[in-house]
Amino acid sequence: MNNLPESQPNAFASDMTRRGFVKTSSFAAAMSMLGGIPLVAQQEKNETPAASGSTVKCAVIGCNIWGREILNMLARLPKAEVIAVCDRYEASLRRAKEAAPKAEGYADYTKVLENKDVQAVLIATPSHQHKEIVLAALKAGKHVYCEAPLANTIEDARAIARAARDSAKSYFQAGLLLRSDPQRKFLLPFVRSGATGHNVKTRGQWHRKMSWRRSSPLPEREKELNWRLRKEDSTGLIGEIGIQQIDAMHWFLNKRPVSVTGFGGILSWQDGRNVEDTAQVVFQYEDGTSFNYEASLATSFDSEYEILYGTDAAIMLRGNKAWLFKEADSPLLGWEVYARKDQFFKETGIALVADASKADAAKSAKDGKDDDGGDPPLRHALDSFLANTELISNAIEDFVSTFNATDMKALTEYLAGIQKSKLPAATYMDGFESTVTCIKANEAVAKKQTIKFEKEWFEI
Amino acid sequence: MKRFWILSIAAVVALSVVVAADLTKLEAQMTGSRVTIDGTSTVHDWTVQGGIIGGVLELDSKFIADPTKAQPGKVDAKVQATIPVRTIKEVHGRKSMDDIMHEAMKQKVQPKIEYRLTELTLKETPKSAEGPFNFDSKGELAVAGVTNKVAFPVTMTRVDKTKMKTSGTTSVKMTSFGIQPPSPKIALGFISTGDDVKITFEWMTAAPETK
Repeated sequence: MNNLPESQPNAFASDMTRRGFVKTSSFAAAMSMLGGIPLVAQQEKNETPAASGSTVKCAVIGCNIWGREILNMLARLPKAEVIAVCDRYEASLRRAKEAAPKAEGYADYTKVLENKDVQAVLIATPSHQHKEIVLAALKAGKHVYCEAPLANTIEDARAIARAARDSAKSYFQAGLLLRSDPQRKFLLPFVRSGATGHNVKTRGQWHRKMSWRRSSPLPEREKELNWRLRKEDSTGLIGEIGIQQIDAMHWFLNKRPVSVTGFGGILSWQDGRNVEDTAQVVFQYEDGTSFNYEASLATSFDSEYEILYGTDAAIMLRGNKAWLFKEADSPLLGWEVYARKDQFFKETGIALVADASKADAAKSAKDGKDDDGGDPPLRHALDSFLANTELISNAIEDFVSTFNATDMKALTEYLAGIQKSKLPAATYMDGFESTVTCIKANEAVAKKQTIKFEKEWFEI
Repeated sequence: MKRFWILSIAAVVALSVVVAADLTKLEAQMTGSRVTIDGTSTVHDWTVQGGIIGGVLELDSKFIADPTKAQPGKVDAKVQATIPVRTIKEVHGRKSMDDIMHEAMKQKVQPKIEYRLTELTLKETPKSAEGPFNFDSKGELAVAGVTNKVAFPVTMTRVDKTKMKTSGTTSVKMTSFGIQPPSPKIALGFISTGDDVKITFEWMTAAPETK
């Protein structure tokens, strides 16, 4: 996907106009963070993993393509013990049991929730079916991982957020994968520190030429499978796919839009669907900046990326890789001299790598090797889900066993106190806010209009 | 003569039974307790904290009724306190450190730290009925499957009508409990943890009814 040419450190050095090393507090922070201190992202890989041997007993509800992707990933995580898989459709359930041979198969999700051994449920059904299952799971005292978008209507998303808020004893995580990605987490303070100057615009795209249509020999099943192509059930490209990148950018920018304008149409796949196959949205912010996001099923060119444009530098993010493109007149960051650089036509990108010690950067510059990019975001999101579920579970167990009683107020207070020990992950509020943002953005695409965001939409 | 001796022995026994039995039970509260452990390492000092201390404090009812009349010396008291190891966490939320610490403390072998009081001695007559009441304590602390005698001063303070806060601080060596100071590997080598740690606690207990 990303075919990067050999890095050319010497070419970079002569191109830059050096104004000397300006030590502003933001640059000092960025430099010290990147140069001196061993960084968490790679560090945790090297430390001895806690040989706790304890597992979280999970159930996956909704075992079509994405649900099985989750199952395959859970199979690689020692902390996960999948004891139940659930799908209404027999062929999906059969394939799910192949992915999780030790799990029991269920066609009815309510039976899964009755199973006292199930501690956590991961819900990967079509988005418009999330609410009923999430609410029942939280009521049954299970910990919940709910795929994003949370729902296809604001009312349903709000119901989920409220239930998560009111279930103090359950851990809830929204399926916004990049919130758990160590590379993104590493970049967050770098961006927020102002190393790129101030943000003037943002761009993101997702391109993949594919029909998005699934087929089945049974017409009823085929109708069910293609919920994404129906306006009544689907939040379109923006809601189903764009939400991941749109949420990631709002997280980095630390702002939410005041309005969104949509464009789009069915430009290639005229097969009876009424959901746009190409969509563009422009989010506008109070400070006058805008974020232009495009998604298309009609072209594959240049795949997926996000770019944050700042007055001192731009940052390009492709999955879990990132590059810094500096302006000619921006101050020299000491560490960049040793960093690996990659050429993109006329632009030179400084590779931003989580554990880039000087030795590593010099080595990879010599080899010209493309680093492996780390594990997929789904893995980190599931790692966080399992670890946080175990954290909350253990905390409740320790509290209840110590005092032989449960005072909900005291327990809630205790759980609030240990929140900082959680691994990074999308909360119910993150999931809710981004779901509302994308539902309205999708609406703007359909109506080809500007929609102003109302404060009440984001309240639960 | 014999009757006199029998009567006096019976009186002494009865008295001691009465004295020993009249302890007021104060149960651990679900909020308001904290245990802090401060330590060092070759890279940086560290602090871990837990918010749960369970158990029971039993204190001489006569002392509680009027502390300002108590004379320095031994006070009838019992303490059984527990702290689940898992509840002790690094203060900035560094979960990787928690995992290493819990393993070093042999959480699986002994999931709860246990403390038992063996002797409580009042240092001076309290000036106020609210406290502070200053004592010297002797007891046994069990961590990671090893029990050691420990002695340290404690201070008790009344917090409103029913609650009693007990606080104290002591230093111990990890190795005295058979705990190997962790040396986790990091990107650039190893961190070596110091053997000495300082334990500070605040324990909130309360009597079931107002006295």
